[in-house]
Amino acid sequence: MTLDTTSSIALLYRRMGFGASPAELSAGVTAGYTATVDTLLSGLGQPDPGGDAIAPPTFAPLPTNLLQIRSDPAARQSYLQSLRTEDRELLAWWVARMVASTNPAQEKLTLLLHGHFPTAISKVRFAQFMYQQNQLFRTQGAGDFQALTQAVAADPAMLIWLDASSDKASDPNENFARELMERFTMGIGTYTEADVRAAAYAFTGWRLDLRTGAFSISPLDHSNAPQSFLGHTGISSGTQVIDIVTTTPASSRYVPSALWSHLASPVTPKSAVATDLAPGYAAGRNIGTLLKSILSHPDFLTPATAGGLIKQPIEYVVGALRALSVPGNEIQARPEGALAVLAELGQVPFDPPSVGGWGQNSYWLSTAAALVRWEFAARLSALGDISMVADAAPSGRVEAVGQLLSVPTWTKTTAKALSAASANPQNVVTLALVSPEYVSN
Amino acid sequence: MPPDVNEQAGSHPTMSRRRFLSLAGAGIAGVAGANALGAAFWEQLAGAASTGGTKGSLGSTTGRTLVLVTLYGGNDGLNTVVPYTNPAYAPARGILAVDPSTVLPLGEGFGLHPSMPRFHKLWTDKHLAIVHGVGFANPNYSHFESMDIWQTGEPTDPSGSGWLGRWMDKTGADPLRAVAIGPTVPTLLAGEKVQAAAIAPGPIRLPGTPAQVARYKTLASTGRGEAPLLAGAARSNADLLEVDRVLGPILAKTANANPLHLTGADAPNAAGSANSLAIANGGGGTSSANVLSTQLSVVANLLLAGAPAEVYSVELGGFDTHTEQVGTQSALLPQLDTAVGAFLDAISTTMRGKETVVVVYTEFGRRVAANASAGTDHGWANVAFAAGHPVKGGFYGEPPSLTNLSEGNQIYTLDFRHLYATVLDQVIGVDPASFLGQKFSTVGFL
Repeated sequence: MTLDTTSSIALLYRRMGFGASPAELSAGVTAGYTATVDTLLSGLGQPDPGGDAIAPPTFAPLPTNLLQIRSDPAARQSYLQSLRTEDRELLAWWVARMVASTNPAQEKLTLLLHGHFPTAISKVRFAQFMYQQNQLFRTQGAGDFQALTQAVAADPAMLIWLDASSDKASDPNENFARELMERFTMGIGTYTEADVRAAAYAFTGWRLDLRTGAFSISPLDHSNAPQSFLGHTGISSGTQVIDIVTTTPASSRYVPSALWSHLASPVTPKSAVATDLAPGYAAGRNIGTLLKSILSHPDFLTPATAGGLIKQPIEYVVGALRALSVPGNEIQARPEGALAVLAELGQVPFDPPSVGGWGQNSYWLSTAAALVRWEFAARLSALGDISMVADAAPSGRVEAVGQLLSVPTWTKTTAKALSAASANPQNVVTLALVSPEYVSN
Repeated sequence: MPPDVNEQAGSHPTMSRRRFLSLAGAGIAGVAGANALGAAFWEQLAGAASTGGTKGSLGSTTGRTLVLVTLYGGNDGLNTVVPYTNPAYAPARGILAVDPSTVLPLGEGFGLHPSMPRFHKLWTDKHLAIVHGVGFANPNYSHFESMDIWQTGEPTDPSGSGWLGRWMDKTGADPLRAVAIGPTVPTLLAGEKVQAAAIAPGPIRLPGTPAQVARYKTLASTGRGEAPLLAGAARSNADLLEVDRVLGPILAKTANANPLHLTGADAPNAAGSANSLAIANGGGGTSSANVLSTQLSVVANLLLAGAPAEVYSVELGGFDTHTEQVGTQSALLPQLDTAVGAFLDAISTTMRGKETVVVVYTEFGRRVAANASAGTDHGWANVAFAAGHPVKGGFYGEPPSLTNLSEGNQIYTLDFRHLYATVLDQVIGVDPASFLGQKFSTVGFL
C-alpha cells in the first residue's frame, strides 16, 4: 500500500525538512512526488538565502595564553564566561537558522549528521569548534561519506570529544577507534577487539593545537608499528583505517540503514532495505545519492514509514515555529524560550547526552515531554500567526489547522477533539500541536 | 462533545521582540528553595499512606520501594571500592592508584574512595551491600550495547523492552507504578504496552481551563487502532493526565521543599535536569550542581507523601573517564555519595523509607591498567551497591582477580541478573523467572 500524493509530499517535507508550508504542499502536489524530491535535494551543497541571513556568532580568538588561563583564577573565570556566552549564541544561531532556512533539506541533513557523529559542547567547550564542525556537515555532508569521515575525524570538535591528543605510541586510547567503527561507519559485531586495538595504534599521536585549531600528527607519539586490521596488513595510519572502514561491505549496509532509521523508520544493517540500498551506496558512497535512493524507495511511501518515527524535539519545535511563521531573527534575538523548551524536552542542539547521540521514538514519548509540548503549544498558538485557522469559519477550522501544520488527515478521535474546540482558533491550534498526528513525524 | 461557545476567538498579538521569553515553561525559572518544612507538613500531605507501612493499594506486595541509580559512562569500580592492599593494584593503576592512606577502610583489603564518607557511614551501620564482580558473559566494551544489556536484562538480544518494563506490561496498565525523574524514560522502565511516568523537578501546571483539559483528554484517548507510535503518543498524553491527578498535588506542595537538607551546589534545583542546567548556565557548559540530589529530592518528596510508585529511576552521567580520570571521578563520586546518603537519611524516619532499597549500577567496569591519557578504557566486571534500611550490609560475591585478566580486564564472577532476581523477589515481590526468562538465585543482601 502506498500513500496518496498529498500525504506523500507532506511526509517528504516532514522527513527531509521541517514540514511543508501550505504553498509548498500544493506546489508539490502539482509537480508530483519525484520532481519534488529533486527540487528539495537540489538544495544540498547550495546557498540557503533564509538560513544564511541568520548571522553566526562572532567568536573570540582562540586562547594563545592557555597556561595563564589555567593558572590565573581571574583570567580563567573571565575566559569561561566568554565561552558560555558564545555557547548560548551558537545554540540560538542554529535553532534560528533552522527556523529561517529556505533550504530545509540541507539543514535537516546537518541535524541528521550531528546525530550520527554526535559531539557535545559540554566537553568540547569551544563554541567555534562546534560551529566549524556544523559547517562541515552543512557544506560537505551531501558528498562522499569517506571524505566526510576523514574530515570529521581530524576536525577539532571530534578530536576533543573522543580524547585524541593524550595517547602515546606505546599506549593508545581506544575511544575514537571504537566509536568510529561501532557508531560512525560499520556497526557493532562487524569487527574484533583486535581490530579496535590495531586501529587505536594507528590513531596514536593525533593532536589538536588549541591555540590555532590545527590538526597534526606528533611523530614522537605516533606508533609506526604495522598493524593487521580487518584483513589488511601493514596498517599504521589513521587515514588508512578510515579509508578501510568506510569501504567495508559492513559499512555499505550500515550507513544506509542509519540514514533510513533517521528518515523512515528504525532498521538494522541486516534489514531487507539495507540489502536494497547497499550496492547503490557502495558504488560511490555519496550521501546525496543515498538520500535520493531512500526517498525513492518503494518502502518509503508506505503507512509503515509514515507511522515509523516520532518527531525529535528539535524537529518538533523548529517545525512548529516555522508553521506559525515565527521569524528566525526573532528567535535569534530572544532565544531563551525556545532553548528552554528544547532543554526540558531533553534535546539541546550541540549537546547530545553521549557519543550514542539521542534516542528515538518512544524515547521522546514521556509524560514529562507531553507536558512541555502542551505548555509550548499553548504559548506558541497565542503568539504565532494562526490567521489561516482564525480566518476560517469554525466549521472549517479542523481542516484549516491540518493545512497550517501539514497534517493531511486527522483521525476521528483527533478531529472530534479539534472540532469541539473550533470556536476558539487558538485552542484548535494548541490541541493540533499536541495531537498524536503532529507529535509523530 | 459540543463546541465550546464560551471561549472567544482571541486576537494574536503583534510580533514583539521580547515575547519569546514567554515560550519558556515554569521550570526554567529555577526554584532552588531551601526552606525546610516541618514534620506537620509531611503528616498533612501524606495522610495515612506513608505512615501505615501496610500493603494496601500503595506500594508493592512487599511494601518495599526500589530506587535505581544508573551511572552512565562506566564508573571505574576499581577506584570506587579500592583493593588497596592487593599488591597488584598500585602497579597496575600507576598514577591513577588511590593513595592507600586516604581510602575509607571496609575490611577484607578493600577501601572506599575517599570522597564517599556517607557510603562509609552506611557501611559501618551495616546498611550497605557491596556486590563484587558483577557483569555478564561475552562483554563487548560498547556503552550502548552494555547499557542496553543491563536495562533489558537480555545479554544475547538487548533490543526489546526493559526488565522492569516487562514487569509493568505483565502486571497492569498503571504508568505510576514506576517513575523516572527527568525528561525521558530509560529503557529499563519501557515496556511494550506500558511506559513508566517521567516527571521533571518542579510542579505540574496543566496549561488549560477545565474545558481545554477535557478536550485534551479526548485527544489522548487510547485504543485508537492506529500505528503503534501514534497510539504511544496518545498514551503519553493520557498518562500525563494521570500523573497530574495523582502526583500533581504532591509536586505542587513540595515545589520549594528541600527534603535532603542540602545546600549550595547540592541543593535541589527545579531546573535541575542536566540539559536544563546546561542552558541555565549559558548553554553547553558543564555545571558543578548536583543533578542527582535534585532528582532524589523529588523521589524523597513523593515517597514521604505516600505516592504509589514502587520503583523510581534516577541517573548520573559523565563517568566515561578515558582521560584525566582522577579529577572527573573525584567530582562525580561525592555527588553520588552526598545525594544517596542524604536521601536515605531523609526518608529514614518513615515506614515507607525504612522499606526502601537503593541500587547503584553502571554499564561496565574499566580496564585494570591506566592508559597514557591518565584515564582508563572500557572494561568488564564491576561492583554494584545496594543500600537502605532493609539491606544486610557486607560484601557479596567473589572479588574478581586482579592478575588473572582477560584482554586486560577483570572477569565477572556474578551475572548481573542475580541482582535483578534479588530485587524482583525481595523488593517487588514477584517471581523473578517470569521476567528474566530463567531462574537466577538471589544474592543474600535482603
